[in-house]
Amino acid sequence: MRPLDEKETTAVFEKIFKFTGNNLKNIVENPSHEGPDKEPGRYCFRLHKNKVYYVSDSLVKRATNVARTKLASIGTCVGRFTHGGNFHLTIECLNLLAANAKHKVWLKPTSEMSFLYANHVLKGGLGRITESIAPGDGVVVFSMSDLPLGFGVAAKSTQDCRKLDPNAIVVLHQADIGEYLRMENQHEQIIEE
Amino acid sequence: MGKGKQRKQIILPPELPPEIADDDIEVSDEDLQFVDENKDYAGFVSRLDTHSINKQVTRVEGVNEDALEALYEKRRRKTLEQKENEKSVVQVDPVDALPVKSLDGEVYYRTFSQTAEVTENEGDVDKSVVKLTKAERRAKLKKTKKEAKKMGKELAKTEEVQPTQQEAALAEVKEDLTAEEAFEAKKRKLAELGMALLADPEANIKSLKEMLQFAKDGDHSIVKLGLLSLLAVFKDIIPGYRIRLPTEKELEMKVSKEVKKMRFYESTLLSAYKGYLQKLLALEKQPRFHHVVVRCICTLLDAVPHFNFRESLLVAVVRNIGSSDDVVRRICCSTIKSLFTSEGKHGGEATVEAVRLIADHVKVHDCQLHPDSVEVLMSLSFDDDLGKPEVQEGNNKMKNKKNKKRKNFEESNQPLGNDRKRSKQETIAKMKEEVAADYKAVSYTPDVEEWKRMQSETLSAVFETYFRILRHTMRSSVASSEANGNITSGGSGAHPLLAPCLSGLGKFSHLIDMDYIGDLMNYLKRLAARGSSSDSSAQKVQNLTVSERLRCCIVAFKVMRSNLDALNVDLQDFFVQLYNLVLEYRPGRDEGEVLAEALKIMLCDDRQHDMQKAAAFIKRLATFALCFGSAESMAALVTLKQLLQRNVKCRNLLENDAGGGSVSGSIAKYQPYGSDPSLSGALASVLWELNLLSKHYHPAISTLASGISSMNSAQNQVYISISPQQAFKNLLLEAESFEYNQQGGTQKSNKRKGRSTALASTLASVEPPPVDENEVSKKLRRHFILLRDIKENERLRGELDRTTSALQLYEEYKKQRQPATLKNKKSKKARTTVGM
Repeated sequence: MRPLDEKETTAVFEKIFKFTGNNLKNIVENPSHEGPDKEPGRYCFRLHKNKVYYVSDSLVKRATNVARTKLASIGTCVGRFTHGGNFHLTIECLNLLAANAKHKVWLKPTSEMSFLYANHVLKGGLGRITESIAPGDGVVVFSMSDLPLGFGVAAKSTQDCRKLDPNAIVVLHQADIGEYLRMENQHEQIIEE
Repeated sequence: MGKGKQRKQIILPPELPPEIADDDIEVSDEDLQFVDENKDYAGFVSRLDTHSINKQVTRVEGVNEDALEALYEKRRRKTLEQKENEKSVVQVDPVDALPVKSLDGEVYYRTFSQTAEVTENEGDVDKSVVKLTKAERRAKLKKTKKEAKKMGKELAKTEEVQPTQQEAALAEVKEDLTAEEAFEAKKRKLAELGMALLADPEANIKSLKEMLQFAKDGDHSIVKLGLLSLLAVFKDIIPGYRIRLPTEKELEMKVSKEVKKMRFYESTLLSAYKGYLQKLLALEKQPRFHHVVVRCICTLLDAVPHFNFRESLLVAVVRNIGSSDDVVRRICCSTIKSLFTSEGKHGGEATVEAVRLIADHVKVHDCQLHPDSVEVLMSLSFDDDLGKPEVQEGNNKMKNKKNKKRKNFEESNQPLGNDRKRSKQETIAKMKEEVAADYKAVSYTPDVEEWKRMQSETLSAVFETYFRILRHTMRSSVASSEANGNITSGGSGAHPLLAPCLSGLGKFSHLIDMDYIGDLMNYLKRLAARGSSSDSSAQKVQNLTVSERLRCCIVAFKVMRSNLDALNVDLQDFFVQLYNLVLEYRPGRDEGEVLAEALKIMLCDDRQHDMQKAAAFIKRLATFALCFGSAESMAALVTLKQLLQRNVKCRNLLENDAGGGSVSGSIAKYQPYGSDPSLSGALASVLWELNLLSKHYHPAISTLASGISSMNSAQNQVYISISPQQAFKNLLLEAESFEYNQQGGTQKSNKRKGRSTALASTLASVEPPPVDENEVSKKLRRHFILLRDIKENERLRGELDRTTSALQLYEEYKKQRQPATLKNKKSKKARTTVGM
């Protein structure tokens, strides 16, 4: 487990920035109330076995007691670096993103299931959308009752959405909470490793 | 003779100042007739030096004030002389045909009667300029004309017997007439011409030019009268079509007598009209005629918008639409409005022109105009299905194309032997087309396509204006921020056109093209954010008032709602603005109605909200309701209630454990000053404000607040939903009467106390015990009596000050006056010696 180097930090922040915009500041400066200290600590990002974790300072200190090879996971997993050096967000960071999201899409109840099976969001399934989304922005997907379902990348701007036909793709799927079930094995493996 | 007169006037009794006498004197028609008939006898009147007489009289007045006694003495002494003078007066007027009523009165009668009449007439003109409505003025004009005609009939008869010698006779008469009588004569002449024209326009069309000559007269009142009577004439005789002068080719052609006559009539009318308009436009620049001319132009435009030279009329009206003169501006605005609303009169062309002219006007003046000039556009009306039929047309075209193709196909399929048949068909089709074209030209039914084209043109001009104003507002505020606030732009003063522009955008929001919406929203967003973003960095940049920014938000929501039923867009940024604007609101400075409207449109009408956002708004509105007047807090509470009804999860706020549990999300602590509603962590707080509000002095608010706080426990409550706007208005109306009803209100609350025990305990602990009430009322009475006494004292003091200052002023005036009178006396003496 080690702190991110500069290149990795920019990669991670750029990715998160796509979803949260200026709210990235909130993520970084969020006070943590973990541990016995009176003073609230901060959260930080840590890299461990290609994965990036969002951890509170106090937890990091305690984690030093565990051998690096034995440490399976710590804090919240935000994403992982691929072999090519790219950074991918994983579904575990959904809560973090949802709380600070800048661009949101709400799904109609009928199309929730489709999204939870890793399909893209179509115009027809769109219940509501924040304005001024540009193509390529990170979008957090909610159900109509404000339950975060996943996230993705906007394929069309809000303006274009108006004229779109119902079958056109609005948000490209990246991750959804269905993964917890669908990829149960994979996750277990990760933890076992 | 002169000497005698002078003396006589000196001796005038001082109680009879001539100005007052003027009004009392009535000249009977008989007198006038008599004078008219005996023109020669009245000649002496012209020779009277009215000017010097008036001068003398005023001087006598002055003398009166100073040396009344001296005058009386003089009068005593000179009774004998006076008698002689009387004789001399009689001698002066050898014309004993004039009735002698009283010795002094007679001469003045004549002169004053003339002048009095003149002034009266002038007064009439002025009045009509200032405030009469169109119809009234017209009626008045006609009446005056009739009167003039009646009076002048005798004179006219004698002269019109020999119409050939009319000119000569007129010249002769003119020599004798004084200025006033010339004025009278001109007026009469004007009236005659006008009546003749109205009676038979075709025969008397030539006299238009004569009337036009009056407008070039030197006398201002004559010019005004001329303009107004020409206006009345034109309004009546202008035909319901546009005159097209015949081309040369047409002139060469032989035509019947009637057509010739008609052509002559039309061309004369047109040229006279042109001359009249030119005169009007020329006179418009002179401040003396400005009112009259603007009125004339507006009436003409209102009455005959279809006629030739409409463009120049429109230009003149639009030029004055932003005038700083209230009267002129109001006339122009109402004219333009009526132009917009009665499009049937001119087929909509004038509307297009007017709107485009207004757009140019705004452009030229760089958006620094009176708000009325853009508010006019609000009275435009567009067809709702402006966009739809085009699609149909497109379909039709497609069909036509298909048909054509099919036809071609068929035709090509047909054997060549049918050539003859085909040519026959073609000729028939051609004929049909011609007939249709002719019919179209003749029939008055408005062409649908043309109509649509004009409407879309108008619309584009309107939106061009609106966008220009928006852009200008942005640009100017940026510029002013760059100039470091050298120019203190005070709120709406800097952007006078923004308010009508925004309301116009709200009204026509359903007609905005999809492509523009993105830009529009961008503009609105930046405008709405104008204040808050700069707040932290520099105070001086803030140049949009809270109301204006609220309006921006409202318009954005209206535009979205009216255009995008299919797609539900969440206007996050505007919510952030509203969230912050609620804090910046000040009851006196900003408009409560706008806030209430914003609350309704943005919070109540929108079905879905983020839980966090809704909670943040609930918390902030509750805080807001604590701080401001009953109307505002009522609007806020109504909104709050509706939000709570919709968002069941937010009712956690009503529970008494702080922290909000698992729902509060990532933010564990409420941040009351946060600028983003979704990050405020409001779910971690408790709505303690409601408890305070349930003890509000206003019964309606206290009941509502306690109702909301018990919302969670009482499951099946009856929800009466009124909009925050309505609530705001109700309480505003009530505000005046509330002061008096307060006694009753407390009684009511007492009754309530008796009924609901739970509430009673809390209320009783806070409210003062009822025993004190008598004492309180006594104290209050004493207090108010004291207050009233102070006020009375102030008023009396003010009066005293005013009187003393008036007295001082009077004394100063007297002091100044004395040397002047001395001088006067000297000069008088000198003159008398010369006269001797």
